[in-house]
Amino acid sequence: MRRNKHGINPEIVRELVALMDEHGLSELEYGTSDWHARVARGNAGKAAKGDAQSAAEPTSSQSPAPPGAVTSPIVGVAFLSPEPGAPNFVNVGDTVKEGETLLLIEAMKTFNQIRAPKAGKVAQILITNGQAVEYGEVLVVLE
Amino acid sequence: MTSPQDQALALVALGRTESTNTEAHHRAGAGAAHGTLLWAEAQTKGRGRHGREWISPPGNLYASFILRPACDAATATQLAFVAALGVGRFLSRYLDAAIPVHFKWPNDVLVSGRKIAGILAESTMGKTQNLEWVVLGVGINIETHPEGVEWPATSLRAQGGNPPEIAELVEVFGQSFLFCYNEWQEKGFSPIRKAWLERAAGLDEPVRVRLGEESFEGTFVGLDEDGALLVLKDGDKDPSRVTSGDVFPMKVLAGL
Repeated sequence: MRRNKHGINPEIVRELVALMDEHGLSELEYGTSDWHARVARGNAGKAAKGDAQSAAEPTSSQSPAPPGAVTSPIVGVAFLSPEPGAPNFVNVGDTVKEGETLLLIEAMKTFNQIRAPKAGKVAQILITNGQAVEYGEVLVVLE
Repeated sequence: MTSPQDQALALVALGRTESTNTEAHHRAGAGAAHGTLLWAEAQTKGRGRHGREWISPPGNLYASFILRPACDAATATQLAFVAALGVGRFLSRYLDAAIPVHFKWPNDVLVSGRKIAGILAESTMGKTQNLEWVVLGVGINIETHPEGVEWPATSLRAQGGNPPEIAELVEVFGQSFLFCYNEWQEKGFSPIRKAWLERAAGLDEPVRVRLGEESFEGTFVGLDEDGALLVLKDGDKDPSRVTSGDVFPMKVLAGL
């Protein structure tokens, strides 16, 4: 994970701010099992990071996930195809069956198959091949 | 706590198959129990990470576990280390005590510095992105090993090992792995991490890390609590955390 000299990953902060803009939120808290960050507008804003802190409890007002969003269960690297050069598992506009593999997230050499939780059409793919993804990040939106 | 049911090994002999991992996913999807171990005498489409081919002639060991741990996907990545330990302990039974067995992050098993086994862990998520099952595939070079691979390979036979017939080996491997798995379930990652570090290849030595097109070098200084590789780059005060990519302990490689 890329972090600057303050121990902050500026990409995550930028992503969080972008999500707040997109969804009109004044505050966003987000994290994994070993860190979390809270970004807020106004004088309450601060970013926190620590081992003892657990992931933020999701609440509906803070959730950035739209309906049909498939989120990442793990911090890792996304792969849209089973091997380099192979066609993607799915493309925007494809109709998928429940349980169909959408993409892989690799962490510690474990490949996590992310599957369609329901049948539907792939409306958006929000990540690129080889991109680092965070816990809870929206990967694909089905409609 | 581990129930007796969790400890059972259900060995299934497939003969020749395309890929034990592929077959394991089919069977897991159809409800196969935790602890099912699929064994093939040869694979016609054996695969490694990123669809790389795992050449699978008869004589070597090809097997995939179906596991259903009650944990999240992040915790299940610790199985990479559990599997490496299981393979390492299994191999030590058939090797002279003077022959060193080491681990290369996270789950390569090296004998005399050469790669003897490959592990392919594939987790499948359910409807709520919960962990549904893990398929843990292993290929262990018993009689033969490939030449011309990125990290030099070896086999149990080439290392002077005297293995029994393959059917017995598979059973011993299955028990050896489940022993480590149950230790992980009961005591958590800490003892697994410690045992792995005791046999880490190139600890406190120079290491190169390759991530896609990029790579960097530093000193391999340890593992963090989650199993991420800690690499201290020259001039940095704190080590960098590596959770993805290929790792090359340079001194070990130079000595081969």
